Amino acid sequence: MASVLIVDDAAFMRTSLKLMLEKNGFTVVGEADNGAAAIQKYMELNPNIVTMDITMPVLDGIEATKKIKEVDPQAKVVIVSAMGQESYVRDAVVAGAKNFIVKPFKEEHVLKVLNSL
Amino acid sequence: MVLLSNSFREPMLEMYKFETNQLLEQMEQVVINSEKSNCCSQEAINEIFRIMHTIKGSSAMMLFNGISTLAHSIEDLFFYLREYKPENVDYMKLSDLVLSCTDFIKEELSKIERGVEPDGNPDESVNIIKAYLTELKGDGGGNAIQENTDEKKDEGKKQKYFITRSLSDNSEKTLYKAVIYFEEGCEMENIRAFTVMHSLKNIAQDIMCEPEDVIENEESTRFIRENGFKMQFYSDKTYEEIENILNETIFLKKLELEVVDNNDTANVNKKKPVIDLESDRSITPEAVRTEKEKEKEQANKTLLHNFISVNVNKLDKLMDLVGELVISEAMVTSNPDLKGLSLDNFNKAASQLKKITGELQDIVMSIRMVPLSATFQKMHRIVRDMCKKLDKDVELEILGETTEVDKNIIENISDPLMHLIRNSLDHGIETKEERIKNGKSQKGKITLEARNEGGEVIIIVKDDGRGLNKEKILQKALDHGLIQDINREIPDREIFSMIFLPGFSTKENVTEFSGRGVGMDVVSNNIEKIGGVVNVDSIAGEGTTMTIRIPLTLAIIDGMNIRVSNSTYTIPITSIKESFRAKEEDLITDPDGNEMIMVRGDCYPIIRIHKLFNIKDSITNISEGITIMVESEMNTVCLFADELLGEQQVVVKALPQYIKKVKGIAGCTLLGEGTISLILDIAALVKMK
Repeated sequence: MASVLIVDDAAFMRTSLKLMLEKNGFTVVGEADNGAAAIQKYMELNPNIVTMDITMPVLDGIEATKKIKEVDPQAKVVIVSAMGQESYVRDAVVAGAKNFIVKPFKEEHVLKVLNSL
Repeated sequence: MVLLSNSFREPMLEMYKFETNQLLEQMEQVVINSEKSNCCSQEAINEIFRIMHTIKGSSAMMLFNGISTLAHSIEDLFFYLREYKPENVDYMKLSDLVLSCTDFIKEELSKIERGVEPDGNPDESVNIIKAYLTELKGDGGGNAIQENTDEKKDEGKKQKYFITRSLSDNSEKTLYKAVIYFEEGCEMENIRAFTVMHSLKNIAQDIMCEPEDVIENEESTRFIRENGFKMQFYSDKTYEEIENILNETIFLKKLELEVVDNNDTANVNKKKPVIDLESDRSITPEAVRTEKEKEKEQANKTLLHNFISVNVNKLDKLMDLVGELVISEAMVTSNPDLKGLSLDNFNKAASQLKKITGELQDIVMSIRMVPLSATFQKMHRIVRDMCKKLDKDVELEILGETTEVDKNIIENISDPLMHLIRNSLDHGIETKEERIKNGKSQKGKITLEARNEGGEVIIIVKDDGRGLNKEKILQKALDHGLIQDINREIPDREIFSMIFLPGFSTKENVTEFSGRGVGMDVVSNNIEKIGGVVNVDSIAGEGTTMTIRIPLTLAIIDGMNIRVSNSTYTIPITSIKESFRAKEEDLITDPDGNEMIMVRGDCYPIIRIHKLFNIKDSITNISEGITIMVESEMNTVCLFADELLGEQQVVVKALPQYIKKVKGIAGCTLLGEGTISLILDIAALVKMK
C-alpha cells in the first residue's frame, strides 16, 4: 500500500489522520510539523503521498508544496485545509498540489482522495 | 453528522485536551507579552492566528462546536489584523478579548475533563468579537482598507480577463462543452472546479466557465452545487481523451460532455472570461522575501532539534525497569556466593556494569525532567488579572525558569505556587497609596525564583510588601485554639509557619482570590505530597519570602536500611541527623508513658518502631538497640530500631492500591537480596509526636 508523509503543525490532526490511514492499509512513514521539516522528510523518506496542512509555522504548506515539486515533479501532494481558506487552496493547486481534503475531514472523503492518486 | 466513530474519538480526546491546553497557554503568553509592550508584533498576530486556526480545526474534528465557533471568530479577527494592519487597535481591549476567549475555551476543556458535554454558548463572545471586527473595519484605518479592497478588485479583474493561451487559429481544435456535477457534501466545490480547470491547462485553450470567477465569488459554490460547473474550451484531444481526464475528477457525480459546432463559437468568443491558471498570486516584495529567508534559516535551526513525544506510562515503566536493574546489579555484585573468592576480573567487569547502570539511571532521570518555565509563565496571567481587579501595580520577576524538575513535581507545584502568588499580591503587596505613603515605589514586585541546590530544587516566592504581622498571627492562632500557650517564647519562624495551619486566615476581608483561610494549609499539604517543605521568612514593612524545598527526584533515594526483628525498613538519608546507642539513664518517661531521651541537654521524643508497627521478638532494651535521630521541618524525633544494616540507593515504589494508606509508611522498595523494605515517612512520624 501507499506510503504517506503527514504534515501538520497540530499533533492532534496528524494523529487523527494517521489512525484513519493506518486503519485503511496506508503506511504512514513520517510526520512533520512545519513546511521546512516536510521538505527534509520528503527527501529522506520519499513517500508516495504527502498530506499537507497550509497554515504552519516556519514555512507554510504552499511554499513547502512548491519546494517539494521542485525537488520531485512527480510528488503527490494533497492539501488538508479548513473551510474558508479557498484562495490558499487555489494557490496550492497552482503550486502543484494534486487535490485537497477539507477539514474537519470524513474518513470516506480522505480515502477517496488518496485512493484516486 | 458524525465524523468520527467513538472508538476513534476516545483515544484522540487525551491528545486533543493536551494540545489545546498547551496552545492556549502559549497564546496567553504571547498576548501578555504583547500587552506589556503595548503593541502586537506581526509575529504575535501570526502566532495567535495560527493557534486559533489549529484549535478551530481540531475542535471541529472532535465535534466541540462551541469551541470551534469561538476559535473561528478570533481567527477571523486576527486574519484581519494580519492582512490589513489597522492602526486603530486598542491593545488592552484586544488582549482582554482574547484572554476572555481563552478562558471560555479553558472552561469548556475542564468540562470535557470532567466528562461533561461542553455545552457553553460562545454566541456572546462571538458577537463581541464580530462587533469589534466591524468597529475596526469601520473607522480609523478605513481609507487604507478601501484602497486595499480596490486593489484586490483590480487584481481580480485582471485575472478574469487575462487570456492564458489564446491560439490565433482555433480551427483545428474542437470546441467542447462540459458540465460537471459534484457529489453532495464534498465541500469547496469552487476549488474543485478550479482544480478541474487546472488539470486541463496543458491540453485546453481559451477555457471559459460559468460561474466566471470560481474563487473570488462566494456565490460560485452555491451556483456549482445547484447548476453544476459549466466549461467551454478548445482542445486538439479526442472526445474520449477529454472524457477520461474529466472522469478522473474526485467526487464527480455526473459529467456531461459534448462537442460544440464550430459555427457557434463566434459569439462566445466575444466575451472571454478566461481564468488565469498560471499566475501565482502570492506577490512577494523584496522585503518579504528576505524575511522568508530568515524564516528558512530559523527552520534549519529548528530542524536540529528532533523531538518525539512519548507516552508517560512508557517512561514510568522505563524508570521502573532501570530501578530494577540497579537492584539486580547490587544482587549480582554483592552476591553472598562470591564471598571469599578472589575475583579480579569479575570485579573489573562489575565496576564497568556499575558505571553503565549509573549512567543509564542518570539519563532516564533526565528524561523525566521538565523545565519549570511553562509553570512559571502561567503566573504572569494571574498577576495581570489580579492587578487589574485590585488596582495594584505589580511586576513579576522570574528567575531561573529553566531549572528542571521531575515531571511529577511540575504537576503538583502549579497550584501551590498560584496560591502563594495570589496571597502575596492580595495580602502582601500594599495598595498604591499605601506604598507611596511608606516611601516605597508605587510599583510592587514579586520575584519567583527557582534554583538547584544539592539534591534539592528551591523555589522562592518573594514580595516587597508589608510583611507578616507577628502579633496578629499569634492572636489569631490563640483565638482559633491552634496554640495554647503564649507565654513561652516562640521563634519567629514558628509563628510565621502558623499561617499554614488548617483554618488560618489573618485577613478580615475575604476577597475573590484568596483569604478564605483554606488556601495555605492546602499549599503545605500539596508540597508535602511531593516530599517538599515550605518555610516563611518575613520582615515587617519589607516583605515576605516563601521558600519551597523539594527533593530533585522522588524515584530513587539514598536510604539507610534498619532492622527491627525480621522486618527491614528504610529511612531517607537526608532526614537522618545522627544515630547512637542510648544509655538507659538518659531515658525519661512522662506520666502518660511517653518516652523521651536527653541528648546533650535537649529532650527528644522516642518512637519505638516495634511498638508503632506491632512487631514481636524485637529488642526492647534501649541500650541494646540503636537510636536514630531524624528531622523533618525543623522538628526532631528519635527512632528506635534493632540495628543499622547499611546505606543503599533504593528505588521508591508506591504501596500497592490494595493496601490502605498506612500511617508512617511512604512506600516500599526492593533490596539487593530480594526482600522488601518499607520506607518510613519521617514527616508523618514527626507529626505524630
